[in-house]
Amino acid sequence: MKITFIFLFTLLSSVPFILSAQQRVTISGTVKDGATGETLIGATVKLQNAAQNTGLATNAYGFYSITAAAGEYSLIVSYSGYQTSTQKVLLSKALTINIALVPASTLQEVQISAGELKNENVRSPQMGLNKINMKDLDNVPVLLGEKDVLKAIQFLPGVKSGGEGNTGFFVRGGAADQNLILLDEATVYNSAHLLGFFSTFNADAIKDVSLYKGGMPAQYGGRLSSVLDVKMQDGNDKKFGIEGGLGLIASRIKAEGPLVQNKSSFMISARRTYIDLLLKAFGDSALKKNTLNFYDINAKVNYKFDDKNTLFLSGYFGQDNIGIKDLFANDWGNTTATVRFNHIFNNRLFSNTSLIYNRYSYAIELIDDQSNAKVKSLIRDLNFKQDFQYFSSNHLLRFGLQGTHHQIMPSDITASGNSSINPLSIEKRYGLEFGLYLSDEWKLSEKFNLLFGLRLSQFSLLGPGKINTYNDATELISSKTYKSGDFVKNYFNLEPRFSASYTLNDKNSIKASYNRNTQNIHILNNSGTSSPTDQYVMSSNNIKPEIGDQIALGYFKNTEDNGYEFSAEVYYKWLQNQIDYKDGADLTANAEIESLLLYGKGRAYGIELYGRKTKGRLTGWISYTLSKTERQFKGINQSSYFPARQDRTHDLSMVAMYNLSKRWSVSANYIFNTGNAVTYPAGKYDIGGLTTYYYTDRNANRMPNTSRLDIGATLKAKETRRFQSSWTFSIYNVLNTKNPYAIRFRDKENDPTRTEAVQTSLFGITPSVTYNFKF
Amino acid sequence: MIMLQQIKYISLLLAGFITLSACEKVIDVKLDNAESQLVIEGNITDQPGQQVIKISKSVPYTENNTYPPVSGAVVTVTDDNSHSWTFSETAPGMYTFPSLKGETGRVYTLKATVNNVVYTATSGMPAPVGIDFLDVKVFNFGGDDQKQAQVHYKDPAGIANQYRFVMKVNGVQSKQVYAENDRLTDGNDVPTVLFFTGNNDDQDQLKTGDVVDIEMQSIDKNVFLYWYTLGQQSSNGPAGGATPGNPPSNINNKALGYFSAHTVSKKQMTVQ
Repeated sequence: MKITFIFLFTLLSSVPFILSAQQRVTISGTVKDGATGETLIGATVKLQNAAQNTGLATNAYGFYSITAAAGEYSLIVSYSGYQTSTQKVLLSKALTINIALVPASTLQEVQISAGELKNENVRSPQMGLNKINMKDLDNVPVLLGEKDVLKAIQFLPGVKSGGEGNTGFFVRGGAADQNLILLDEATVYNSAHLLGFFSTFNADAIKDVSLYKGGMPAQYGGRLSSVLDVKMQDGNDKKFGIEGGLGLIASRIKAEGPLVQNKSSFMISARRTYIDLLLKAFGDSALKKNTLNFYDINAKVNYKFDDKNTLFLSGYFGQDNIGIKDLFANDWGNTTATVRFNHIFNNRLFSNTSLIYNRYSYAIELIDDQSNAKVKSLIRDLNFKQDFQYFSSNHLLRFGLQGTHHQIMPSDITASGNSSINPLSIEKRYGLEFGLYLSDEWKLSEKFNLLFGLRLSQFSLLGPGKINTYNDATELISSKTYKSGDFVKNYFNLEPRFSASYTLNDKNSIKASYNRNTQNIHILNNSGTSSPTDQYVMSSNNIKPEIGDQIALGYFKNTEDNGYEFSAEVYYKWLQNQIDYKDGADLTANAEIESLLLYGKGRAYGIELYGRKTKGRLTGWISYTLSKTERQFKGINQSSYFPARQDRTHDLSMVAMYNLSKRWSVSANYIFNTGNAVTYPAGKYDIGGLTTYYYTDRNANRMPNTSRLDIGATLKAKETRRFQSSWTFSIYNVLNTKNPYAIRFRDKENDPTRTEAVQTSLFGITPSVTYNFKF
Repeated sequence: MIMLQQIKYISLLLAGFITLSACEKVIDVKLDNAESQLVIEGNITDQPGQQVIKISKSVPYTENNTYPPVSGAVVTVTDDNSHSWTFSETAPGMYTFPSLKGETGRVYTLKATVNNVVYTATSGMPAPVGIDFLDVKVFNFGGDDQKQAQVHYKDPAGIANQYRFVMKVNGVQSKQVYAENDRLTDGNDVPTVLFFTGNNDDQDQLKTGDVVDIEMQSIDKNVFLYWYTLGQQSSNGPAGGATPGNPPSNINNKALGYFSAHTVSKKQMTVQ
């Protein structure tokens, strides 16, 4: 507590100092793409003269504000993939300068000297942050040609894949449900299409992807391990355009353009798979009875009232359908809607207000004549967020509040009268979550930068409902019925966030961070990968909020004019109040689900090495992670620590892209990782004439290692002024490596006195081709 | 049950699409070898005649599937009405009582003394629930029609029931574990498909002319938890199934296996 007070005192004592900086002058504005009018997030803006050198990165809406002593400066703005803009400015009174950057063609970029500008990764106190360059996605070869941000982030250090071809991911030893996945600020609860082979993110509609693995800024809260912040494009405000792609299993189309010149633009993008349509076209009559598809739509509109007020509306709708005629149908999907209002109070104070709706639901219908029934389940949030950013000469203050109302409908079974299944409705649960935060990015000196903040998080489980209380032995000890509006249980948590960087010189820095995160929405799943029927629970009188603490240390270095970036980070993470469930637990439509849970803790540590080449014909990166991830639960594994399933000791990814000519580029990925920690039998015995396996330590065994090489090539067709097109060819798993997906044990067919292990591998060599167009 | 059905359907449906590219191979894996454990498998049924308690030992995974019987144990079964039956060893590790008929509502206690360690377990015999009839259900999963056996029974209303099914196809026992309860089906006419997975998993359906024998057991809650957990280990859903562990035994002192007092109903059909 004492530390907290000192911390708050430091934070607050810096405010008067900021406000007293009167003799200084502010320059502010917005940085945009000159061709499309899209605002550029994280562009570097520098104000330089002989005496001064100050800079920052644009915020999520492309806004910047720099305060400096009056004088003559160069204003230098740069962003990866764009020509750097330099102009002279005379700073004597407050100035607004909006900047339009011109995109650089890949070959041009070789000649551009960016100067000592793009070293934001070295200078900023932020660590544990990786960004995905959306342009790279066009070239990175992927399974069946569907470019995917969630698969791309799996090539980054500290991020482990949920499995072969799977979009699920684990960050620094966290569980899959400990990632906060945001699409235009709305929580996406289930980011998987088709059981995880594809993600809900249509790359065409996405502008920016940032992944925070550590040093979480205070404005984010609610998950322990990472924040994946995905932002949609605003839409071209200069001219109308259509682009799209035809792939092997899915097609995409996007339209964007101005609605009111320079004031309003829109973007709408849609995608649908047609695996089932294709099979029908091939005349497979049996498959005609089956359904297997997904689609999604992203849409966004913005309206700029004036230079100070802008309104954004964005939404996502996606659905998967899978089914067999006359037997069963299963659909699931997310819906999100976000309304945002940007207001610039003055050239130093930027405000954003958001109202957000998001929902994930699934339905399973048995349409068998004897067991006609339907199960529905959903999780729905209503959010309000108010965020302020205050820019001063040496401080960037950020503060605000967030409020969320959660509703979980665990399962609602309806059935017809003659069905073998009875109707059953499990009580809905309601929760209220508040977050209050304040942070300061403080430039203490040319060399020393601090980013420190505090988040106060509150969670309340609300009535109505019949709430059971269980003791440590999960026995029911009491039960109480609450009315609507009653508070069943409240939790308060203080989450300190702290990062610091010390630049040794312009090219080298060391950084350190500590952060605490808490989590009140939990998924009950111990199989490691996401499923459409994942069961969500809230913190309650029985379930305590999960708490995660992480410390990290890093070394960052850029060389060759920032053409090479290198980083090394070590981390250690403690996880409390982790959740697992008992063997044989039946989680479906179970009102007493909380009696089936086990609570434990976790620890994870590792080192991440990352090297990236950003310039020239050859670009790409190498990442390597050496890590350990363990869990401990009372009653599992003699209550001692055991490796988590995703505890892969070594994890190596390489991505390389090479521009052969103006029209041809080629690329390759290579991954290698240690196998998952799994539980193999240690003995066997006979039960009722069947071989039954005896297990000892949990996850004490290893699946075989996984490795894979993918290659791709992109051919740009001759461009006309109005029409551009390209072909992307890729071969997934070109060496046809048999990677383990599942391993099971069985009696040998020709020698029943012996048992054997059988490995299932999913995708062998898989070629694909995609045609992309734009006009 | 609905979820299990859904998972089964989805995996079968996906199998049709994904196995186009998936493949299987036998691999060498490095395994730990556990010390031998005591295994007790005891059944008391409502069928008049011989009742059997089997005691054996587990072997390390790498050895042959021959499980050493445990001889010289003292095995007794008592009920909650002061009856007591002493089982005698009629073959190595096989302890039998020639004529004993379990009764619904009685709670039976097994006591087996092996090398001075006393293992006990209790199990209550539920009310009998019989098979109404068997038929064949035809599925269409992405490819050819697939035939599976289906059991029909009437669940008694108002009480919790648990069932286990044992299926033999042409005299060979299916390697799947079939256990279900009436949590969502209380009091209804219930059809249950017993998906057949043959001796090896590639034999995954019934053929015309196959003779199918199905035994339905009414079991108590602890025995259900045993079979249900054992069944989950072998389920290969799209996520690869749950982390396997030893099913919770109702026998104390860390013995493996179970002691089950159950009723039996049997029916046979020939697949048309």
